[in-house]
Amino acid sequence: MKATTDRGFACVFLVIGLAFIVGSRSYVSTSYGSQVGSNVFPTMLGVLTIILSIKLFIETFRYEKENKAEKVDFDYKKFFIILVATFAYCLLLRPLGYVITTFLFLLIGFQTIQRGKTWISVLIALIISISVYYIFVKLLNGTLPKSPVWLDFLN
Amino acid sequence: MDVLEWLGLGFETAFLWHNLAFAFFGVLIGTAVGVLPGIGPVSGVALLIPITTSITSSLSPTEAATSAIIMLAGVYYGAMYGGSTTSILLNTPGEAASVVTTLDGYQMAKKGRAGAALSIAAIGSFVAGIVSLLGLILLARPLSKLAINFGPADYTSLMILGLCAVSGLAGKSMTKALLMMVLGLLVGTIGIDSVSGIARFTFNQPSLYEGIEFLTVAVGLFALGEVFKSIIERDYIHGKAVKVNSILPNRKEFKDSIPAIFRGSFIGFLVGVLPGAGASIAAFFSYSLEKKVSKTPEKFGTGMIQGVAGPESANNAAAGGAMIPLLTLGIPGSGTTAILMGALIMYNVQPGPLLFEKNPEVAWGLIASMFVGNVMLLILNMPLVKVFAKVVETPPKYLLPLIIAISVFGVYAVRLTLFDLMLLIICGILGYIFTRFDFPVAPFVLALVLGTMLEYNMRRALTISNGNYSYFFKEPMSAAFLILAALWIIVPFVLKMKGKKLIVNEEG
Repeated sequence: MKATTDRGFACVFLVIGLAFIVGSRSYVSTSYGSQVGSNVFPTMLGVLTIILSIKLFIETFRYEKENKAEKVDFDYKKFFIILVATFAYCLLLRPLGYVITTFLFLLIGFQTIQRGKTWISVLIALIISISVYYIFVKLLNGTLPKSPVWLDFLN
Repeated sequence: MDVLEWLGLGFETAFLWHNLAFAFFGVLIGTAVGVLPGIGPVSGVALLIPITTSITSSLSPTEAATSAIIMLAGVYYGAMYGGSTTSILLNTPGEAASVVTTLDGYQMAKKGRAGAALSIAAIGSFVAGIVSLLGLILLARPLSKLAINFGPADYTSLMILGLCAVSGLAGKSMTKALLMMVLGLLVGTIGIDSVSGIARFTFNQPSLYEGIEFLTVAVGLFALGEVFKSIIERDYIHGKAVKVNSILPNRKEFKDSIPAIFRGSFIGFLVGVLPGAGASIAAFFSYSLEKKVSKTPEKFGTGMIQGVAGPESANNAAAGGAMIPLLTLGIPGSGTTAILMGALIMYNVQPGPLLFEKNPEVAWGLIASMFVGNVMLLILNMPLVKVFAKVVETPPKYLLPLIIAISVFGVYAVRLTLFDLMLLIICGILGYIFTRFDFPVAPFVLALVLGTMLEYNMRRALTISNGNYSYFFKEPMSAAFLILAALWIIVPFVLKMKGKKLIVNEEG
């Protein structure tokens, strides 16, 4: 375990605990027929969070020194592409409809993880996006965003 | 009515054709989930909740709940069956509970006995499933009868015990686990307070009034988190599977594994009933027990059939045992059972002692369907071992983007809001960060599921006692639970301290 990152986590959690305590101060301290109001539980939890964050912070000083031999090769590039694609997928889901966005997302996803024969990826992405839409919407009466008017045949 | 009559009623429910279909698809998908590396039982169950809710939407609420839980539980124990396949064929566990199976399973596969190892694992899982079900049937009524007299104070303390138990055993650092648990409880307070009707921590955002949806968080933290981890850490490139030849174990292998299967089943069941311990610890215990009772312990790790039979039985029995605290007390003991509980609550079915009174068809239907599901798994797994060995080779290239797409589909289909989709992605990123830095996510999800009930019961208890906190220690059951909870945290802590000293002594 890395001491510096854990110290960072401890600080973030400490702030979260404080925020919840401050936030719950505005809620009335008693509610009708009850001695304990809406503020009690969050305040207690906030205090606990602070105590535990401090404990974590103190513990980081007892961590043993890391051996730098094990170095993992992180692949942030692919992750970043997938992450942006996922965000775009979610944002465009309603405007462009389920079939198109899912098809595009899967195609990008397949090709990002491992470049290969494009036509297989296109075929798989097409089959999945269309069949999920039809099974869910037509057979199970579920709701998924429709395709835009100029692609009305997909609906 | 006595147990047998209830069980008969359960079988009537389980044998309805649609419930048979749900059980079948549950165990089939579960096996696939267990076989596919990179997707474990927790994320498998979480991913399937939205799909089950949409499939069951035409049924009445109780029927829908029964069918959904039958399918989701099927995924859970199905995954325990499937997890052995990758351990044996690829030397990579399909889920955490099958880690020990790699030790001897892969060695057997290298010697050409892969088929035998796989079928012994399937038989062991079946026996274990039945053993744990018998335990469940025997313990369910007495436990729920005991729990039915619980007051709000007892419940509060029981939930605290459940939370402490899971956090005490999760991850490398108990402080981190406890932090995650408290954080989960805090996130659970977001939304409209059920007692006073005040909106808390919502910043006047209507999307927050209903609270943070547990389903979105669970799918994000577990399923998306795992996918992101696989991509970032290039976890998806793995070797070729060993070929499966004959699937039948020979006489000696069969004779050797029978006692191991029974020992594994009992250990697994006992460990599973304890909250927090779970399937991977059960498998580990069983492996070391097999090593202890064996006449040739030095041969373990070179392909001993007992090293496969014991742990594989144990992890399945633990999965069955974990259903006991969930169904009878309403306290899930692990990440997966927490998600099962969340699913039941989504259907307005409250797990706990009243479940057997109010919704006997849900409880007994589930129990009976687990018998059926285990038989299905055995039939599925023996002849289909070779097919699943092929599934192992599914290119991750297709799998990873597909899991993301299923997550988005599931969350959108149930919630229909962009807010939940964004929350899903954020939880996915957080899920990766948390696991990478050893902050266990299971206590968080468990706390999110239990939070509302914990606060509700605590405030009820405090109302009864006029705000006097010592009430929790004056009620005998409540006091006992609190003491147990404290022990659960303190004992591992002390053991750790002692363990440290021992290491220091050795070095000195």
